[in-house]
Amino acid sequence: MSVTRRSVLEQLATASDATRQETTTIEALAATLDADEYTVESHIERLEACELARITPDGTARVTITGEELLELNTTEMVIVDAATSNSKI
Amino acid sequence: MAGNETNESTAESREVQYDPTSSRYNLYECPDCDNIVLALGRDEPPMSCHDKPMERVTDLEMSVQPPDVKQVLLQAFGLPKAGLDICLCVIGEGPLSANEVAESLGYDRSTITRYLNKLVELGLLERSELNREEGGVVNVYHSVDLERMRRETLIGFYVWAGEAAALIEDANLTKQDYLEENPDRDLPEIFWDSFPED
Repeated sequence: MSVTRRSVLEQLATASDATRQETTTIEALAATLDADEYTVESHIERLEACELARITPDGTARVTITGEELLELNTTEMVIVDAATSNSKI
Repeated sequence: MAGNETNESTAESREVQYDPTSSRYNLYECPDCDNIVLALGRDEPPMSCHDKPMERVTDLEMSVQPPDVKQVLLQAFGLPKAGLDICLCVIGEGPLSANEVAESLGYDRSTITRYLNKLVELGLLERSELNREEGGVVNVYHSVDLERMRRETLIGFYVWAGEAAALIEDANLTKQDYLEENPDRDLPEIFWDSFPED
């Protein structure tokens, strides 16, 4: 079944926590979304490239603070994340 | 030349005429003055001028070239095709990274950022700064409310069309006025002198 990247982000935000750094598994996300694991994992990797998700070394994932803030924008239309324009603190 | 003839006949075959029976848009004129208005989307209640209903234009013989959406966006909003490509690429697909959009469309990464900012400038996108976990911010571009986008683009285009209409009126008046005042000068010279290039 097809699943959108946004719905993966929303479910990730529900099942994990950026502040407490609580993670969830790809398997659990795929089961909840009724989607195949490969598709969910692919979306999570793309979300990580947008700095909206973080994949840990043990393969679990969590939403980032950026991801939570994006969902709070409550915009359902087009969204582009331009991470290269960020100003990292040293 | 044969090539020019082919181009001209192609252009002529693409010409369009105003169809008063079509409901796409309506043109009205005042029976008492030279006021002409364009109405899009509705014709009730009828437009009025001088306290009288305006009359639908029905006798226009002039043909025009059909507008090309890429040219319209570029001329009216200064938005090249790349800007529209970005919007079309992301609708229903987001969130996407700017790198993904660049790869998908085959544009340079800096081109994407430039047009994203152009779309913000036009009011078609909003830019928000979101906090990064490592510090600093990430720019996020998201579409404005679709109804607002529709209104902004339509009114923006009408402003451009109004400017264009005023230019055409100026050109018509310039012709008449200068010919009366300068009977010894050539019309092309007078005409273009009155519209200096930027």
